[in-house]
Amino acid sequence: MTSQLRKDHISGHWVIIASERSKRPDDFRPAQPEKKDNPAGFCPFCLGNETKTPPEVFALRKNGSVPDEPGWWVRVVPNKFPALTRGQPPQRMVKGLFESMDGVGVHEVIIETPNHDHEWSDLPLAHLRDVLWTYQQRVQSIETESQYQYIQVFKNKGKEAGASLSHPHSQIVATPIIPKLVKEEIWSSDRFFRRAKGCLFCRTFDQEIKAKERIIRVNSHFAVMAPFASRFPFEMRIHPLRHSPFFAMVADDELLSLAESLHTVLAKLKAILSDPPFNVILHQGPHPGLARKAWPNMESIFHWHLEIIPVLTRLAGFEWGTGFYINPVSPESATSYLKG
Amino acid sequence: MKKLLIVEDEEALCLLYKEELSREGYDVTTVHNTEQVLEMLGRESFDLIVTDIRMPGRDGVELITEIMGLRKDIPIIINTAYQSYREDFMTWAADAYVVKSSSLDELKSKIKELLS
Repeated sequence: MTSQLRKDHISGHWVIIASERSKRPDDFRPAQPEKKDNPAGFCPFCLGNETKTPPEVFALRKNGSVPDEPGWWVRVVPNKFPALTRGQPPQRMVKGLFESMDGVGVHEVIIETPNHDHEWSDLPLAHLRDVLWTYQQRVQSIETESQYQYIQVFKNKGKEAGASLSHPHSQIVATPIIPKLVKEEIWSSDRFFRRAKGCLFCRTFDQEIKAKERIIRVNSHFAVMAPFASRFPFEMRIHPLRHSPFFAMVADDELLSLAESLHTVLAKLKAILSDPPFNVILHQGPHPGLARKAWPNMESIFHWHLEIIPVLTRLAGFEWGTGFYINPVSPESATSYLKG
Repeated sequence: MKKLLIVEDEEALCLLYKEELSREGYDVTTVHNTEQVLEMLGRESFDLIVTDIRMPGRDGVELITEIMGLRKDIPIIINTAYQSYREDFMTWAADAYVVKSSSLDELKSKIKELLS
């Protein structure tokens, strides 16, 4: 058999695991390292350039230090030139088959460290935990405004992954609607729950633990897996062992455990693939008030998780046309490299 | 009189900006390419810079970061026809982002705000 079609039961997508194109980590190493983004040395996220950002909305800073001045180690600021801006719940405008609404939303940037060159795998665990705790604080704060139905937390690292600046940062975008991909994950989970009386994510993990071949590592609170239908080479899913739909409900000791998982697998990714660009994406339930109203069994059906997607391949005509993905590295093979 | 430096590769727009902004009481200097800007900044002092982004040679984002290396204190306004550069965090080196339109009202109001 030269290839295999696999279905992801959570998102519903199909993947072609193209084993005849099978590649090793060395095949993805860049010919030359990524060019530095600020040859003149200026970076708006660096320590001392706080006046170049909008006033901070949250920061972890030394006692006695002043907002919008040095003394911070994690800092959150609104996007200076946002695509979506805070406002009242937007009205849907429908003209025949065309539907639109005002661009209402929240867009914040989390500057993860004052150090321009420290990536997640370079940060002390306690610092990385602080970054994750900051995510929680901002999610909870934005959730006090009920017009935002979904809060997306994500990190782009490297130009190919969409980062315009190499200074380590993540972003939070809150939208007035629940995105289609999120709805599809919830619908799949809901359908599965009604049929099997259990959480789709928990059951998937139980099956993966028995199969063993795609489990990269497990610590006290989290498992890292290469999904059965991985769309991309070396894609990983971080699965919380405790079932919960909402990231804000993660306890402090669990955050440290999550930091340990991320730190370890990203260091491994950096080592075997020469510091590849990647995206980290949080998948969680929509705004809790809305989620519990629209899906009364939300607490049981959905399971928050993180995706890590190294950017090593490009989507092209076939993928755009069909919604299929072609992955030249089987998740079993990726697991053997990532756990070794 | 406050001195403005306009960086814009389209000559017709340079003429328009010069005429409209001079009428607002500013001393306006226009340059058509980014190469002239750093040289100009070495010679003269300006109170504010308005720059396009997509220009031949060095692009406006690169120019802004170079200006930051030399003079962090000059307010800069990005004036571009494109919304998409908002996604580039290097544009945060600028103080305002104004999308080009047939009216210069927003640009004029940002200049006024930044110089007040």
